Amino acid sequence: MKTPRLSPQTLRVLERFVERPTAWRYGYELSRETGLKSGTLYPILMRLAKFSLLETKWVTTEDGVPPRHTYRLTPNGVELVRATFANSRSALKVRRPAFGGGRA
Amino acid sequence: MTPLEFPRRLAALLLRFAIWIAPHDTHDWGHAMLSELNHVPGNWSALIWSLGGAGVLAKHAMLAAILPSSHRRTVSSASELFDKEGPMRKPALAVIASCVVASLLFFLAPVFRQAFRVSLAQWHDIFHVKEVFGDPDSDAELEALAKKAEQNRDAEALAFIAVRHANQMQRVHFADEAVRLDPNLTWIYATNGALELSSSGIDRLSMLQQWDPGNALPHLIAAQKIGVIITQSKEFPLGKAEESPAWEKEMDAAFQSPRLDTYLDRQKQLDHRVLSRYRVDDPFQVVSDENWYGLPSYGVWYCSRYAESLLESGKSLESRGDRKAAFEKYWAVARFGQMMGDGAGFTFVMRKDMKEAYTRLGALSQMEGNNAAAAFYAALADQFDKAADKQRLLLRDRIQGSVVSHWNAFLVRLSGLLMLFCTVLLLLCVLGIVVRSRSLRLSSLHPSRLTLALGFGAAVGSLLSSAVLFVSYWPYSELLQRFLSKGDDAQLFELSAFLRDTQLPLGSQFNLGPGSWYVASWNVVFYFWFAVSILCALALLIAVFRHFQTRPRATTA
Repeated sequence: MKTPRLSPQTLRVLERFVERPTAWRYGYELSRETGLKSGTLYPILMRLAKFSLLETKWVTTEDGVPPRHTYRLTPNGVELVRATFANSRSALKVRRPAFGGGRA
Repeated sequence: MTPLEFPRRLAALLLRFAIWIAPHDTHDWGHAMLSELNHVPGNWSALIWSLGGAGVLAKHAMLAAILPSSHRRTVSSASELFDKEGPMRKPALAVIASCVVASLLFFLAPVFRQAFRVSLAQWHDIFHVKEVFGDPDSDAELEALAKKAEQNRDAEALAFIAVRHANQMQRVHFADEAVRLDPNLTWIYATNGALELSSSGIDRLSMLQQWDPGNALPHLIAAQKIGVIITQSKEFPLGKAEESPAWEKEMDAAFQSPRLDTYLDRQKQLDHRVLSRYRVDDPFQVVSDENWYGLPSYGVWYCSRYAESLLESGKSLESRGDRKAAFEKYWAVARFGQMMGDGAGFTFVMRKDMKEAYTRLGALSQMEGNNAAAAFYAALADQFDKAADKQRLLLRDRIQGSVVSHWNAFLVRLSGLLMLFCTVLLLLCVLGIVVRSRSLRLSSLHPSRLTLALGFGAAVGSLLSSAVLFVSYWPYSELLQRFLSKGDDAQLFELSAFLRDTQLPLGSQFNLGPGSWYVASWNVVFYFWFAVSILCALALLIAVFRHFQTRPRATTA
């Protein structure tokens, strides 16, 4: 299986997903939690989706409000993340959001 | 909409535009960012969110343009929700077609065709590198005219060419031929630089002096030649030309001459006759003799030097009690200064000397008891400053042209450049669409949104730049027509200054204010070809990169 390059920012996003692997997450919610701007977050999401590590879905939340794009890890994604974090947990500990975003 | 909502509206607009230009396979992501915008609290935060998202989409749009195969159209799961932008293509195509047609319609107007040719003049040095670094060649139109003139044995046309030919030997040849056919054209030697060159054993200066014995101009040219020879031979200290008896003799002859004719009027009349006879309407041919301002450049300076020596001599005579001789010296300065003003508009060069001459003449008249003459000279001395300033400004305008002409020349060059850029961009868009669709059938051509946006911008840009080019050049076309039809050369110097600026590549000169700067044309040529080489190398790199990217690879297990 081909995998994308796992940059510190990508790992930060994956870390959010791995906490609740089956839950669907919104883009702005992820941005807030990771402290990543839209210009950084979406290329990561796009790359993860391209490598089939992330699945996407449009959901309608309420009437009159445009549908929202939601994301969650695929089984391949969950597997990759667990393997990656198991190998580099110590490294991950020192990585912190660059600004703002607190942990959920 | 309240002012506070403006950033949020702007954010939505920006993202919509980014989605419009983005490749199809990123539309879902673009709409994802757009829908999230509704959940971003704060108007400015929404704008920042939108800027980031738009940046991502713009990057994909650029990549799609460079690497088309990396963004093939895919079926979008949410495309049904957002297909309202589809019909925008038809109006966009209609606007593009209308703009292109309107731009082409401009070419039906002869004035616009002329303006377009003028706007291309800035490229001359770039594509004629040999001429910039070597000897300039004459242009084809002038060579054709020279052939006709020689066949017709048309002395005036030969004189016309003698002033304009790029090669100095050819200038002398055509001037000699013109004078041989019609000796009344001997004055052409004064204006085309033939007197600077001694060739074929012909003493052209003597010919000119014999043909026009009462004119001070040949003597000023002779004094200039002597001054140049003295400076080069080191026979006298630098700037001491006045110590040479030959120089003094020529200057004395000039100051004693009854008149000063610069032949500018004759030249304009000849230009008008030849241009009308051969139906030449090229503005560059009309004004290419505008480098002759009436007097030789060193000759003008020598006038002031000689006037100073006359004034000194007059004062010396006056102190010895020889008032009559002193009066003649002062009068010679005043009379020659008046001729400089009437004949060539150069009075201001001798401003200080003339004022002093009038003052001394007034003082001498007073001593002689001639109060009326003293009052007359005093009045002349008082009024002199204004007249000299007026002439100086007129000459400055004549040489430099007005600020308006510089701006118009800038607009003509800019609009000409934009027209070319937009045309190339439009052609690239069309080529890109055809290559992608692999068909020439209209129904099978599907431009991407980025291609459509670029094509739209190029078409509108082409139309706007055409209109600006037409409007900027129009006044100069009027000046040209006025000269060609009526021989009215009153504002021809404006056309000359304008055309002089249009020949400089855009960016090589900024003389629109006090902080003006100038880049020599050979530097511009170097920078241009250097940039072209760099861009070619980049294009090659991208092509190689793309080749390796699209090459079939072994699948990873």
